[in-house]
Amino acid sequence: MQRFLRSILGSQQSGLVMVILGLGAILAFFAGSHEDKATGAMVNNFLNAGTLLQVATDASFFAIMAVGMTLIIVSDGIDLSIGSIYALAGVTMAMVLAALPPSVSPVMTVFIGLGISLGIGLLCGLFNGAMIVGLNVHPFIITLGTMWVFRGIAFVASKANSILVPQPLTDVAKCTLGLGKALYPVPLLTMLLITLLGAIYLSKTVMGRHIYAVGGNEDASRFCGLRVKRIRIGVFVLAGLTAGIAAFLGISYYGSASCGDAQGYELYVIASAVVGGASMSGGKGSAISAMLGAILITMIRQSIRTLHFDQNYEWIIIGCAIVIAVVLDQFNARMMQRRLANAAAQARVQQMSSAK
Amino acid sequence: MKNWMKSVALFAALFGITAGAVAADAAKPAKEFKIAMIAKSSTNPVFLSGRAGAEFAAGELSKKYAAELAKMNYSKIVIDWRTPPNEDAQLQAQRIAQSVNDGVDAILLSCSDAGKVNGAINDAVARDIPVFTFDSDAPQSKRFAFYGVDDIETGRQTMSEMAKAIDGKGKVAILSGSQNAPNLKKRVEGAQTEAKKYPGIEIVGVFNCVETPQDAAAEVVRVTNAHPEITAWAMVGGWPLFTKTLLKDIDSNKIKIVSVDALPAQLPYIEKGLTPTLLAQSCFLWGSIGVEKIVDKVILKKDVPVMNKQELVVVNKDTLGKWARQLKEWKFDDVPEEYLKLP
Repeated sequence: MQRFLRSILGSQQSGLVMVILGLGAILAFFAGSHEDKATGAMVNNFLNAGTLLQVATDASFFAIMAVGMTLIIVSDGIDLSIGSIYALAGVTMAMVLAALPPSVSPVMTVFIGLGISLGIGLLCGLFNGAMIVGLNVHPFIITLGTMWVFRGIAFVASKANSILVPQPLTDVAKCTLGLGKALYPVPLLTMLLITLLGAIYLSKTVMGRHIYAVGGNEDASRFCGLRVKRIRIGVFVLAGLTAGIAAFLGISYYGSASCGDAQGYELYVIASAVVGGASMSGGKGSAISAMLGAILITMIRQSIRTLHFDQNYEWIIIGCAIVIAVVLDQFNARMMQRRLANAAAQARVQQMSSAK
Repeated sequence: MKNWMKSVALFAALFGITAGAVAADAAKPAKEFKIAMIAKSSTNPVFLSGRAGAEFAAGELSKKYAAELAKMNYSKIVIDWRTPPNEDAQLQAQRIAQSVNDGVDAILLSCSDAGKVNGAINDAVARDIPVFTFDSDAPQSKRFAFYGVDDIETGRQTMSEMAKAIDGKGKVAILSGSQNAPNLKKRVEGAQTEAKKYPGIEIVGVFNCVETPQDAAAEVVRVTNAHPEITAWAMVGGWPLFTKTLLKDIDSNKIKIVSVDALPAQLPYIEKGLTPTLLAQSCFLWGSIGVEKIVDKVILKKDVPVMNKQELVVVNKDTLGKWARQLKEWKFDDVPEEYLKLP
């Protein structure tokens, strides 16, 4: 038991979990309460099923994309176009579904929507990866360009209209799974599933370890025989795929798609990965931490409203949280280097004294 | 982090959660009638005016209907401002859901994209939270009523006032904002339809701009330079007139502007003659009428008409003083003093 507790406390994510729990405790304490209209019972404004699930739902769209972004950041890259991929995948899906004949069954409609959204996400990711590797240009520049290109295509294709998606998609995304009125756990469950898959991929598969290797030292990886270019394209494809999944889920949940969707979300997604501990210099990061980072950022946004702070402080607080996370990350890396250097020096002294 | 620090932090967190739960059990029932107000953007002055209107009405109606409120165990009406900083329909939908979870009693909403918020509105109504829309409607949702201008009519009126200003002949450019704002599209449509009535008016084009004063003013100057034949601007939103740039950059002898909105910063354009007419939306009333209608429905149990049309107010040199005083009454503190003294 003690060993189990020690392993949990010693895990990479324990610090983030502590912060989330601490913030949750503060919110629960100071949130106040209200009378539930249906039951007449007093309900804590934060500690209630509706709010907790809402926080998880709001976080889920960022978190799913943050898993993909983490893969890119671990490989020492960046993707500024992820929000635009979301918009393009959503708009394309909505337009195709709107053109389907009414005879198509609801199940088929959902699968077609899912296929299109994922397909567009995948293609956009492939395009990004191929451009970066093929032209040998930094991902920041390429994805800065494709951020406008993808959103522009969505804009031209949709003529800036908001396109409603068929009801079966919303029924899937807003399925209560027996939880009761207005409690929709599908985004939360999808977020957990994608995070789990991302965590397994990164930590338990050879391909995942290759990403860490490329991000940690690209030259060494190349000399070791890793196909660096292929790995780089692969991470962008997977990130595009996560944007496609998030688009399918988000557009289905809210019921319509427009070219303005997810504008500025790339910054929240990158922030989630970075707050989760992903190192912008590559070689470090985890899918679970990225999800926790997204939850933490969403909770910070929620806390501003729950505690009735002036909401204009939201950007300042999130900005500070990102800077603090990156500074802590660098400080931690320096301390680790110093500790390793000290340990190596001590080992040398011991070797020399034993040789004498 | 060292293990003992983690243990302390974990203990503190668990203690906090327990204390929070205990505090929740011990808390007293909320006594305020809380209306969540979710406009399109908290950086747009028209919505800040709407907020002032809602807060004013909340205060007045709290006094007027104190007895009725007390019968329902409410002490007063309060406005809970939950407008996103930028236009983001998905964020609006999230804030509607959050408001419901936080136990608000009603929602006052201006929709950035009706398709995105329909589901959230219907969820709120399903949990007995009435929703009233203003400025931009969600007609396919279960909101109980709407208050705002007719956008097609607004576009028509902008063009007909323009036709009066240029004697029915000239080359007119139309300025609109975001391409995916449905209300602006309707205004442009109305303006184009109205223009067809005047054979002497030729539409040079519809120009979209970023809905910030600086970007909008820059777009007007760019287009005017590129199309020297332009003799008039019909603006379905008044963003560029929030700056003073056009007072210098555009020659009032060559070009006339007619625009929707008439907030204090825009009034010098009337005085200088560049803008013969501004069509004011009474944005203060978005909030005050919205609160009144919610109180009518929920507290007084009255029937509220579904569509509540707002009329545009024509502001020109003759009515400038009266309008300036009206703005001052509506809590605008930046109305130039000299206009208040006008007849």
